[in-house]
Amino acid sequence: MIKIKSIEKYYSAGSLKTYVLRDISLDVREGEFISIMGPSGSGKSTILHILGMLDTPTAGEYYFFDEAVHNMKGKKLSELHKSYIGFVFQQYHLIDELTVYENLETPLLYQKIKGDERRGKVAEILDRFNIVAKKDLFPNQLSGGQQQLVAIARAIIANPKLILADEPTGNLHSEQGREIMDLLKKLNKQGTTIIQVTHSDEFAQYGSRIIKLKDGWIES
Amino acid sequence: MFGSYIKIAIRNLLRFKVYSAINIAGLAIGMTCCILILLYIYNELSYDSFHEKADRIYRINTDLKFGDTELAIPVVSDMMGSLLKQDYPQVEEYTRIYNFGGKILVKKGSDFNVEQQVACADSTFFKVFTFPAISGQTDKILNEPNTVVITESIAKKYFGTIDAVGRTIETDRGVTFFKVVAVIKDMPENSHFRFNFLFPMANSGYNSWGNLVSMNFHTYLLFKEGTDYKEFEKKFEDYNDKYAMPYAKRFLQVKSREEFEKAGNKIEHSLISLTDIHLHSKRAQEISPTGTIEYVYIFSAIALFILLIACINFMNLTTARSANRAREVGIRKVLGTNRKSLIIQFLIESTLMAFIAVLLAVNIVDYVLPFFNDIAGKELQAGNLYSSSILVFLLLLPFIIGIIAGSYPAFFLSRFMPAEIIKGKLSSGSKSGGLRSALVVFQFAASIILITGTIIIYTQLNYIQNKNLGYQKNQILIINDSYSLGNNIDAFKNEMLNVSGVISGTISDYLPIPSERNNSAFFKEAGMVSESGLTMQRWIIDYDYFKTLGIELSEGRNFSQEFGTDSSAIILNQTAVKQLGYQNPIGQKIYTWVIGGRLVDYNIIGVVKDFHFESFRQDIGPLCFVPGGSDAVSSARSQYKSTGLTSFRINAASLSTILKEAKAKWKNMSASLPFSYRFLDESFNEFYKADQRVGTIALLFSALAIIVACLGLFGLATFLAEQKTKEIGVRKVLGASIPSIILMLSREFIKWIIIANIIAIPVAYYFMNKWLEEFAYRIEISWQVFVLAGCIALVIAILTVSFQAIKAATANPVESLRYE
Repeated sequence: MIKIKSIEKYYSAGSLKTYVLRDISLDVREGEFISIMGPSGSGKSTILHILGMLDTPTAGEYYFFDEAVHNMKGKKLSELHKSYIGFVFQQYHLIDELTVYENLETPLLYQKIKGDERRGKVAEILDRFNIVAKKDLFPNQLSGGQQQLVAIARAIIANPKLILADEPTGNLHSEQGREIMDLLKKLNKQGTTIIQVTHSDEFAQYGSRIIKLKDGWIES
Repeated sequence: MFGSYIKIAIRNLLRFKVYSAINIAGLAIGMTCCILILLYIYNELSYDSFHEKADRIYRINTDLKFGDTELAIPVVSDMMGSLLKQDYPQVEEYTRIYNFGGKILVKKGSDFNVEQQVACADSTFFKVFTFPAISGQTDKILNEPNTVVITESIAKKYFGTIDAVGRTIETDRGVTFFKVVAVIKDMPENSHFRFNFLFPMANSGYNSWGNLVSMNFHTYLLFKEGTDYKEFEKKFEDYNDKYAMPYAKRFLQVKSREEFEKAGNKIEHSLISLTDIHLHSKRAQEISPTGTIEYVYIFSAIALFILLIACINFMNLTTARSANRAREVGIRKVLGTNRKSLIIQFLIESTLMAFIAVLLAVNIVDYVLPFFNDIAGKELQAGNLYSSSILVFLLLLPFIIGIIAGSYPAFFLSRFMPAEIIKGKLSSGSKSGGLRSALVVFQFAASIILITGTIIIYTQLNYIQNKNLGYQKNQILIINDSYSLGNNIDAFKNEMLNVSGVISGTISDYLPIPSERNNSAFFKEAGMVSESGLTMQRWIIDYDYFKTLGIELSEGRNFSQEFGTDSSAIILNQTAVKQLGYQNPIGQKIYTWVIGGRLVDYNIIGVVKDFHFESFRQDIGPLCFVPGGSDAVSSARSQYKSTGLTSFRINAASLSTILKEAKAKWKNMSASLPFSYRFLDESFNEFYKADQRVGTIALLFSALAIIVACLGLFGLATFLAEQKTKEIGVRKVLGASIPSIILMLSREFIKWIIIANIIAIPVAYYFMNKWLEEFAYRIEISWQVFVLAGCIALVIAILTVSFQAIKAATANPVESLRYE
């Protein structure tokens, strides 16, 4: 599903190059659940952003379903991104001004899904995540775990093939964290590919494979 | 402590150069407008206040109603002043000005110059008014005939020195030589009259002395200290009973005042304070064109608008930067600063910027004042800036603006809770969003009102230019002061007709352009019963007048050499026929009196279609024409001595040859008199000079208001983009396209501008309708005007906002969602 070859990412400041990623190569098959671990500044988030097409590598090749992402530009890229990838963040990143229902609806609006179908999908996901009662609340009226729940619901509402989760449990206490991880595991079992970044050894074990990063290199 | 505030303020100014520049520029533009308008208003309000006794000087006004005609004039009979002084002890002194058309020829070397600012005045002129003499004394002058008082600049012009007392000037008036008895300083620019020559009344050439119903003298009363002038006004009724009515009875065959008033007639007098004349008098026959208090109000409102827009601008730009300042505030708070000193710090920063802006504005005013004077038709001095009251205002301005503009950001910024900021959570600002959008809506409503006003003024002016006037105003050449050709005038006209390109020519005293005109009373019945009468203008014309100007006859015939009886013939316009109530006017008679109370009758031989001979502010009034040719011109000359125009319809292609020929022929016939010419369409425009000025000023200030408002909008867009950085990032991650983000950011502004439109439309409609109501002939305000103004505002706003919107939309979401 994903194949990256010798990806590099660095920032130039004068003649000095600050490397974030060095010579990263990785194959991800459909249905995998990968946990990326590493200390702060090891490049975990950057690799996730590159995989999610939010950031571009300085060098290297990136194939997504055999399409050369590193050669793609603008519209095509954004098309690919919005129809295949869902994002989950540590800070949830729900839109404060919108209700739970509207937050869930937003990705569907961007994919130009018609009103009836949209309402159906939102209703279905509210039901599935057991948050029907909360659909008219604003994010700041929810607890952290509930917000993350909504964020995951929003990430999968458009049936992405890949979920990229950037420390999804980082702001939650362990009980809530476990629930979220169980949910991700369940989604993975239903066929969604998941790549997560995490600091927690316990939650890393939910993955089928663990990749350790240090100073921009893959350690193992 | 204070020193450190200033230091931080200056560092902040220098660190964020673009932001400071936009902020200061906006304020400086606003203040420049404000100062310019302030100078203008200050000047308008200062008219005639330089007279030492200004608070005790009043002028007598007259309101007449006679048949269908009403007249509001600033003149009274020659006797009124002296009779009032004789009867009422409150009147300390009076003085009269006789403004005989205001033009004489004065000889310089071998040539005559036309001098415009000329009048006759009483010897008490200098007792009432304050015009200091440079040489000669002003207390006993203007008693003796054949003397003259001149101003400094005239003395320099004719004698090369201000020591002109005892020397003589030569003029074309009855007596040709006048002895200079005093030289006075030039009359100030803010005087409602500015004469260069003052002659004694004995040389006025007036020939109705003692006629109590002939109103020709501007009469000023100087009251004793403590006189209640409102109370004094009541005495005019007694005056009329005692003097004017007995006189009027002799002419009008009425037995009593009751009968006179029952017939719908009136003679009333009132007083106007000297200092009110310039702005509050709307009477015809003022000595020089007056200002209007409405324009002072309008301009004050505009100045306030622009200043407010600039202040709002400042607030928005400062809050726009709040995210940058929030960290600083948080850290300061953690270090123990209290909210009060933070507020003081921000106020000092804003006052400092306002101070720089005022300094800039004063310098800009210095540069642009000549242009502004040109547009406003004023002679404002930058020196006036330093007159006490304006200077105090200028010194206070930075503090006022600094506090008004700085208070909102100061309170907004100082409210931040340190813990949240340090944690990186910034209050979203949505709590104060309501106020901020109200401010922007206000800014744009003000701009839209100004744009709408400008469009409507220009549409009306355009309408005036293009409306069918009832005559052809283009390609008519007017030779000025042709009465000075004397008996040669017919020869001049006939020779000109031989020049190729000259189509026809006419000699007349009046044209449909601004000029001093007199009304005479006319009656349908010989009995001179006032119900059958009206007052109208009588123009003396020749055979070719209608042909040259392209005026059409609707009935009857033109004057013609073939009819020997045309000396008693008269032609009316349609309005005169209608108002007098003739069914079949041709062949009927019309009566008038001439000086001395003699009755004269005329035969109506023709009716011309109505044409606009006055400004569009007035309905077309009644008008009649009597034949004259050269005799009429010379008789007109003995009465007014100012007119006598020869006009030619020409082919513009041969203009230069025509002018060359005309000048040569003129010099042949009258070597020493100046040759001057103008064009009818240009003179026509003088009717609307004030309106054109207002149009230009409105255009200028609405452009500036829009610029300042856009600076503010730009700041606000920056602010909003900053506020929404996270949301934009999230939306992009969720798959939002760039156009949809731009739309999202612009939608809010579009909404505001639509609301601004809804507020602006009724306000603009109300005020512009008021302005248009002054015109008897006017455009209807159409909805397109509002659509146009709204679209202009919208397009400008979108252009301003889109820069920030595009920048925000194309930013990489990774940046905004980063949390480390």
